[in-house]
Amino acid sequence: MEDTVLNPTSSPQSSNRRAVRFDDAQIIIGLEVHVQLDTDSKLFCGCSTRFGEAANSQTCVVCTGMPGALPVINQRALELSIRAGLSLNCQIARSTKWDRKNYFYPDLPKGYQISQFDQPICGPGHLDIETSDATGQARRIRIERAHLEEDAGKSIHDESSRRQDSKIDLNRTGTPLLEIVTQPDIRTAAEAKAFLSELKLILNYIDVSDCNMQQGNLRCDANVNLHIPLGDEQIATPIVEIKNLNSFRAVERSITHEAQRQFEAWQEHGLTIADAPKQTRGWNDHTQTTTLQREKEDSADYRYFPDPDLIAVKIEESQIQEIESQLEQLPADLRKLLAEQYNLKSADASVIVSQGRGVVDYFLKVADGCEDSKIANNWIGQEVLRQLNESNQTIEQYPVSPQQFTDLLKLVIAGTLDQTRGKEVLNAMVADCISPEEAVQQLGIKPVDNNELVSLCEKLIDENQDVVEQIQSGNGKAIGMLIGKARKINPNANPGLVKAMLSKMISA
Amino acid sequence: MTLSALNADVIVDQLNAGEVTATDCVQHFLDRIQIHNAELNAFIRVSESALEQAEAIDQRRKSGESLGSLAGLPIAIKDGICVSGQPTTAGSKMLENFSPPYDATIVERLKSADAIIIGKTNMDEFAMGSSTENSFFGPTNNPWATNRVPGGSSGGSAACVAARLAPVAIGSDTGGSIRQPASFCGITGLKPTYGRVSRYGLIAFASSLDQIGPMTRTAKESALLMSVIAGFDPRDSTSSKEQVSDFLTGLETPLAGLRIGVCRDHLNEGLDVEVKTKINDAISVFKQLGANIEEIELPQTKSAIAAYYIIAPCEASSNLARYDGVRYTFRAQANDLEEMYRNTRGQGFGDEVKQRIMLGTYALSSGYYEAYYLKASKVRRMIKQDYDEAFKKVDLILGPTTPTPAFKLGQHTQDPLAMYLADIYTVSANLAGIPAISVPVEPSSTGLPIGLQLQGRAFEENTLLRAAHQFQNETLWHTASPSEPWRTQS
Amino acid sequence: MSETPEQPTVNQVARLARIHLDDQQLTSSGEKLEQILEFVSQLEQVELPKDVEPFFGAIESVNAIREDNLQTSVPREKILDNAPESDGEFYLVPPVFRNTDS
Repeated sequence: MEDTVLNPTSSPQSSNRRAVRFDDAQIIIGLEVHVQLDTDSKLFCGCSTRFGEAANSQTCVVCTGMPGALPVINQRALELSIRAGLSLNCQIARSTKWDRKNYFYPDLPKGYQISQFDQPICGPGHLDIETSDATGQARRIRIERAHLEEDAGKSIHDESSRRQDSKIDLNRTGTPLLEIVTQPDIRTAAEAKAFLSELKLILNYIDVSDCNMQQGNLRCDANVNLHIPLGDEQIATPIVEIKNLNSFRAVERSITHEAQRQFEAWQEHGLTIADAPKQTRGWNDHTQTTTLQREKEDSADYRYFPDPDLIAVKIEESQIQEIESQLEQLPADLRKLLAEQYNLKSADASVIVSQGRGVVDYFLKVADGCEDSKIANNWIGQEVLRQLNESNQTIEQYPVSPQQFTDLLKLVIAGTLDQTRGKEVLNAMVADCISPEEAVQQLGIKPVDNNELVSLCEKLIDENQDVVEQIQSGNGKAIGMLIGKARKINPNANPGLVKAMLSKMISA
Repeated sequence: MTLSALNADVIVDQLNAGEVTATDCVQHFLDRIQIHNAELNAFIRVSESALEQAEAIDQRRKSGESLGSLAGLPIAIKDGICVSGQPTTAGSKMLENFSPPYDATIVERLKSADAIIIGKTNMDEFAMGSSTENSFFGPTNNPWATNRVPGGSSGGSAACVAARLAPVAIGSDTGGSIRQPASFCGITGLKPTYGRVSRYGLIAFASSLDQIGPMTRTAKESALLMSVIAGFDPRDSTSSKEQVSDFLTGLETPLAGLRIGVCRDHLNEGLDVEVKTKINDAISVFKQLGANIEEIELPQTKSAIAAYYIIAPCEASSNLARYDGVRYTFRAQANDLEEMYRNTRGQGFGDEVKQRIMLGTYALSSGYYEAYYLKASKVRRMIKQDYDEAFKKVDLILGPTTPTPAFKLGQHTQDPLAMYLADIYTVSANLAGIPAISVPVEPSSTGLPIGLQLQGRAFEENTLLRAAHQFQNETLWHTASPSEPWRTQS
Repeated sequence: MSETPEQPTVNQVARLARIHLDDQQLTSSGEKLEQILEFVSQLEQVELPKDVEPFFGAIESVNAIREDNLQTSVPREKILDNAPESDGEFYLVPPVFRNTDS
C-alpha cells in the first residue's frame, strides 16, 4: 500500500509539494483510550481482575466462553463508567445496550467481544487541558463517546521461533474496560500527552482506574493525519491509527514521528485521504518508528449485532444524580482552589494537584493549620515530595501527619526554627517517626538568649578582624562567613538574629 | 402395570409410597434402553452413575430423609444441555469429547429435586434441524415407524419418551424443536415463555429464541417438570422474574368460557388433509369442553419462517464462533492459526451447521445488517404485535403443530427449504417469545401421530397446560403407544 | 453500514466464518445459500410502519445486574481439561503466522 504511486514524483504537483514546509502542516489527532475499571470482579462474571496471578487461574465457565455459559453485567462497572462520564462532562445514556463485535483471535474465547456499538453508556463530552503555549489558554478536547467492553486475554508468542506454539492466558479476559474516544481535536503531540495526563489524573481522583500503564490498565491508540495547505487547497493525508502505545512518551514520540513520516510520504507520492483507506501502524519502541501492521482483508468486518444474551440497562436520572453527588472535586477544580483561595502560582498548584488527591488533602490541612499557604507549598512541594520520591512512598505512608507538619511549620513561622534547622527537624521526624517537639529535643535545639548572642558576636568580631575589615570596606556579603562560623559554634543561633546583631556591632 | 406404562406423576407416587424402589425403576428403564436404543438411537449416552444415584436415593428414603419432589424419577436430557462431568456434545463432532465442568441451571434444579438423569438424548447438531438427521451420532428413528424421522431437533428426547425408554425428558426449542418432534412422536411437548426457564447451561443455537422445556407423555407430567425447572435464575440475564405459580394446581379448572382463537390461514395452504381433519375434530372437542372458538388473524406470521431463517442463523454464526479449536476438545491438523481455524470448523461442523453459519455470517457482514437482521427483527416486532392483538380477543390460539405427520428419513435432506417449512407453525411462538404446547390428536389413517398446537399469552403456561390436560382427559390419544417391535411404515 | 455492497462470494463468506470448504462444497453451499436468500427475500415485500422498533430479544425487561462480588474461579485443571492442547498452564495454539521464512 505504501509503495503505490499515483502521481509520478517528477510531476508539477510534486514540485509544488516540495515547496511546502513541514511547519505549515497541521497535525490532526484523535485518541482512543482503553481504561481498565477498578472493579473487584470481571465485567460479566465473578472472577477476580487482579493482575499478575498464575496463568489461567482466574477464569470460569463464563469468561472462557464455555458452551452454555451466560454473562451478567457487573453493577460497579456501570457506576464507574457513569462516574467517569460525568467527570468528562459526557451525556450519560438513559438506556444502553450490548453488542457483539465478532472476530477470531485465540485470546478471544467466545469469538466475539461484548461491547457497545450504537448506544454507548457515555455520549458526547469534553475535557479541558492546560497547554504550555504562549496564550496560556486551556484547550477543549471534545469527547465523542465512552463505552464499556470486555477485555481479551493475553497471547504470548515465542519471539525466538515462529514455529513455536503461542500460549494463551485468559486471566484478563472479561476485565471491564472503558473505551474513551476523542474527537480529532488534538493538534500536537504535547497536547496528546497533556490530554492523557489529565485524563489519567481525573480517573485516579475519582477512583475509576489506577491507569497503571505498565500493567496495561491504560492503553492508547492514536489516529493521526495532516492537513496541509497547498495553494488555495487544504490537503488531508490518509489517516493512520497507531497502536500499542503503552507509555506517555510513546504517545508523544510516535505522533511526532508519524507526522513527519506522513509529511515525507505525501511529498513523495501526494496520496491524500481520498486515495488510501485508514491504515494501522504499530509503534516500535526500539526503532522509534511506526511500521505497517499486517491485516487480514476481513478484519474490519466485525458483524456487530445486539447481544441476545444481555438485556438493555436503563439508567435513572436519580441514579446519575446520586453518583454525581458523590463525586469529589476534580483536579481542575482543585487547581483553581489552590490558585484562588490559597494564592499559589498556577505552576505550583499544578504540581500539588498532579500528585493526587492525597497530597492535595495533606496540603490543605497543613495550609489551613499553619495559616500560611506559601510556606506550606514550599515545604510540601519541595521537601515532602522529594522525600516521598526518594523513599518511593505514597502520602498515605508518609510518617509525618498533617498535624505534626503543621506544628513544625508553626515553629518555622514563629522563627523558633530557621529553614535549615527546620529541615533537620523534619528529617528527624521522618527518620524516627517522632513529633516536632521530640525532634527539637533530640537535636538539642533550644532558644539562645540575648546575652549569649552578644558574647557570641563579640567573640566572632574579635577573632575575625580581617572579615570585619572586608565588611567595613563595602563587601557586605562577607558577613555570611561570620554567620557560618556562628552556626558552627552554636547551631541554635538564629542566623537572622546573628546577622542583625553583627551588622549593628560592626557598623557601630 | 409395568413401570414404563405409568405416567411420571404415578411413578413418583409409587416411589414415595415405597411400592417401587428408585433402583428398580432406573433398572427397568436402563433395561429398555439396552434393548431398544440400538434400533432407535434415541440416546447418545446412558448415564453411568444413574443406578448409583438411585441407590443413594433409596438409602436416603430408608433413613427417613426428606426428598425432592421428583425423587427417584428417571429423566432423559437433550445432549445440548450441560451436565457436569458428563460428555455434552450438542450432537456435534466438535464437542465429541467435551465434558463441561458445570451443571446447567435446570440440571441443578432437577438434581436437587432428586430426579435421576438416566442419559443424554440425540439431537440435530447444535439443535439445527427438524429431523435429528443432522447428528454426528447418526439419526434417531421414530418408534412409530422406524423409517421415519422423529422430528427435531429434540428428536432423541421425543423418541425415548414415545418408546418409553424414559418416563419424561427435557428438550429445547428454538423454532419448534420441542413441539415438532413431540408432534411427530405422539407425545406432549411444551415450549415455555422465553425467560421462564433459565438457559444457563443450554448450548446456544439462537439465544433470543432458545428455550428449554419438558417433553412428556401427558400435560400433567409437563406441569410436574415445569414446577421444578421454571423460575428466575440470576445467572441468565434474559431469565424472567415473573412469579412462578404451581403449574399443577388449576389443571382441572373447567374450560367453560375459555376463548380459543383459530387462524383459518393456518388451516388451509400446504396443510395435509388428514392433519386438517384431525385438528378440526380437536376443535370440536374443545367446544364440547365449553370453550368458545373464535376466528383470529395473524397476518404477519406468513413472514415468520423468512424472519426466523435470518435471525436464527445470524445469532448462531456468532454463538458458534467459539468452536475454533482452541478450548473445546476438537482441533484439526494445521500448520498455522488460520489453517487451524478453518480446518477445525470445516471438519468439526456438519453440513447444515456450516450452511447456517455461512448464512448468518453473510447476513451480518458489512452492508447487509439492515437489509437482513434489522429488517427481520422489525418483522419480528410485527409478528409479536399480531399476537398481542389476538390475545386481546382470545386466551389461546389453536392450530396444527406441523403441516404433515413425520416424514421419511432422507426425504428432505437435500432440500433445506422443504425441511424449514416443517417449522412453519412453530417458529412464530419463538419469535414472539410466547409459550406453546403440542399435544397428540387422533393419529393418521396409517397410524402416524399428529400434533395439535396451543399457543398462549406470555407467562400463561398454566392456561396451556390446563387446556391440554383436559383435552387429554377427554380424548386419550396421548395414551397410545407405538407397538413393539417397532414397525416401519411406507 | 454502506449502501451498495458488492456481492461477497461464497468463498469470502467461508473465509469470514473461518470454515474450510473444498471446491465442491463451495459450489453446493453457494447454491443453497442462494436458494435460502431468495426465499428470505420475501421480507423485502413486507411493508413496515415507519417507526416500528426492531424486536431483538424475546424479553423486554431491563437491568439484569449483579453486584461486584468475587466468586471462586474454576480450578485451572478443570478449565484446561477440555483444551485440545495445553501445557497445564496455558492453552497452546499454532503460531499466528505461517512459517514462510524457511
